[in-house]
Amino acid sequence: MLVVKNLTKRFGDIVAVDSISFEAHEGEIFGLLGPNGAGKTTTIRVIATVLEATGGTAEVAGFDIRKNPEDVRRNIGVLTADIGLYDRFTARENLRYFGELYGLGGEKLEKRIDELIHVLDMGRFADRRAGKFSTGMKQKVAIARSIVHDPKVIIFDEPTAGLDVLASQTVVRFMKNAREMGKLVVLSTHNMHDAEKLSDHVAILHRSKLVTTGSVSEVLQRAGAANLEDAFIKIVGDDEAKSTERARELEQLAKAGKKK
Amino acid sequence: MKEIYTVWKKELLDNLRDRRTLLTAVLMPIVLMPVILIGTFKLQEYTIKRAEEKVITIAVDSKQSAPTLISYLESQDKLQLSEVPPDIFESKIDDGSLNIYLGIPETFESDFSAEKPVEIKVYHKSSNVDSSSASQRVMVMLQVFNQQSAAQRLGTKGIPPEALMSIIPTPEDTATTQERGGFFIGFLLPMFLVIFAITGGMYIAIDVSAGEKERKTLEALLFVPVSRFKLVMGKYLAVATTSTVTIILSLGSLYTAFKAFPPSGLLGDEVVIDLSIGAIGIMLLVGIILAIMFAGMLLSVAIFAKSYKEAQNYISPFYLVAIFPIAIVNSIPDFKPTEPLFIVPGVNAVFVVKELLLGVFDVTHILITIGSLLFFAVTAIVIATKIYSKEGILFRD
Repeated sequence: MLVVKNLTKRFGDIVAVDSISFEAHEGEIFGLLGPNGAGKTTTIRVIATVLEATGGTAEVAGFDIRKNPEDVRRNIGVLTADIGLYDRFTARENLRYFGELYGLGGEKLEKRIDELIHVLDMGRFADRRAGKFSTGMKQKVAIARSIVHDPKVIIFDEPTAGLDVLASQTVVRFMKNAREMGKLVVLSTHNMHDAEKLSDHVAILHRSKLVTTGSVSEVLQRAGAANLEDAFIKIVGDDEAKSTERARELEQLAKAGKKK
Repeated sequence: MKEIYTVWKKELLDNLRDRRTLLTAVLMPIVLMPVILIGTFKLQEYTIKRAEEKVITIAVDSKQSAPTLISYLESQDKLQLSEVPPDIFESKIDDGSLNIYLGIPETFESDFSAEKPVEIKVYHKSSNVDSSSASQRVMVMLQVFNQQSAAQRLGTKGIPPEALMSIIPTPEDTATTQERGGFFIGFLLPMFLVIFAITGGMYIAIDVSAGEKERKTLEALLFVPVSRFKLVMGKYLAVATTSTVTIILSLGSLYTAFKAFPPSGLLGDEVVIDLSIGAIGIMLLVGIILAIMFAGMLLSVAIFAKSYKEAQNYISPFYLVAIFPIAIVNSIPDFKPTEPLFIVPGVNAVFVVKELLLGVFDVTHILITIGSLLFFAVTAIVIATKIYSKEGILFRD
């Protein structure tokens, strides 16, 4: 369902995503983990064809991100950390606009909007303008907006950030239901606790590189850790140590070169 | 096409709910501009009228020194004559209690009787509006006194006063009422046309581009399976629609206002705005294409910004750059533009509208102007689309 092959993204001299590869399948929640600045959001943006890959490629539901970007976007629903809404539009109008842009219309779209309002418990505020919504309300509308076209692949970037317990539960329940319905849910987060509870498989990014991937139990076993948080720190710590060593070596070489 | 329509419809509805857009695009052209324009003219008329009706305070050292001239001046309307010693008249003019002081020599009456020319000094202060306008009126009065005395002197000698006149210059204006009216509003209307073509689309251009970034809705929009060109076109058409509506409303309300409350011209005659349907049509067309062109330019400029504030910072200099050459060519009296000048966007619209107001239909000028404006409009849209595809501009934080 999602195949990432040697994906690279550079911004000038900065490598934001460094040749990463992983696979994720329908009917699972796939955790894309890593600290802030690891390259998770850039990876998502490249997969969603908003940014162009510098190297490598990815396939979403059989469509190549380079060859068929519009088909990729039709089959993918992305929720990023930016949950901005059109403040002068009601929640329903926000959803209708995006539904129409995804090619839906008429009764089918209205039915889909009603369904999402019900599933995400937005009945109280669906017909109120979004300008005065709380973060939780906005997050629910943003989630509904990202999946209004019923995509096969759903990518959620920090979906529970800033939400209270009840709102978080709604989002978690929604992700589980989506998995039951055979969707691929990619959960991008730095919250290891959430990731361990929900993910079937994970990929850990650090400093733009993929440091490990596999099922949760495989990653735990490989790291010799009891939980994903420990495993994450252990793996990232090792990676950090390797990076520091490499930097020191380069520095030594540079000094040696100067002496000559 | 459906996606372009969806974006266009959304942006228009969204902005119709925004008070700022309603104010600049609808309310200002309909109400404010005619009120300001007509109000300015009416105020000007009132000021001129008041100055004409104002009583002039005039003084001499001694009324006894020139009884003939004094009795003539006292017979004049709106003139108050008094005696003021010569050493204090300047301070009286300064404090406004006196407008004019006449310096009459003591030998006036004897010299006048002997038919010798007598010098009379008309003291006034040119930096004081009341004193300056009073001096003009007093000069006219003294010239009339001069003519009357000359006629009297000639009469006593048995010579008819007409003997002094070899010619009688009589001004005859060949300008039609339409031309006079056109010349009069030709200073204002083209300028306002350009101002409205920019201000009408300004807020919506910021809202659909920089506003989308500030509200953090841009990324969600870029995820939809619609090409960047279609997204930009939808937004662009919404800006162009708003600017076009502003142009139609502003021209319509100005025209109606001038018809309903005709202001006086510079010579006091009534200004008649009488344009043919063809002239109005071409003026509207040029105005609309001008609005369409500025819509593209505004969008290209505003897309660079990541917030409302930043967009306003970019648009202010753009506004000045667009208005400055127009203000200059508009203020040069009797400026005759050469054909290449009709290629310059904005300036060309001003010239064409001025020509139309004077009843001139120059097909070449009109076609060059429309062609130039369309060319720049298309270029602006292409640039806006290119900018919308630039990752750096879309995602810079």
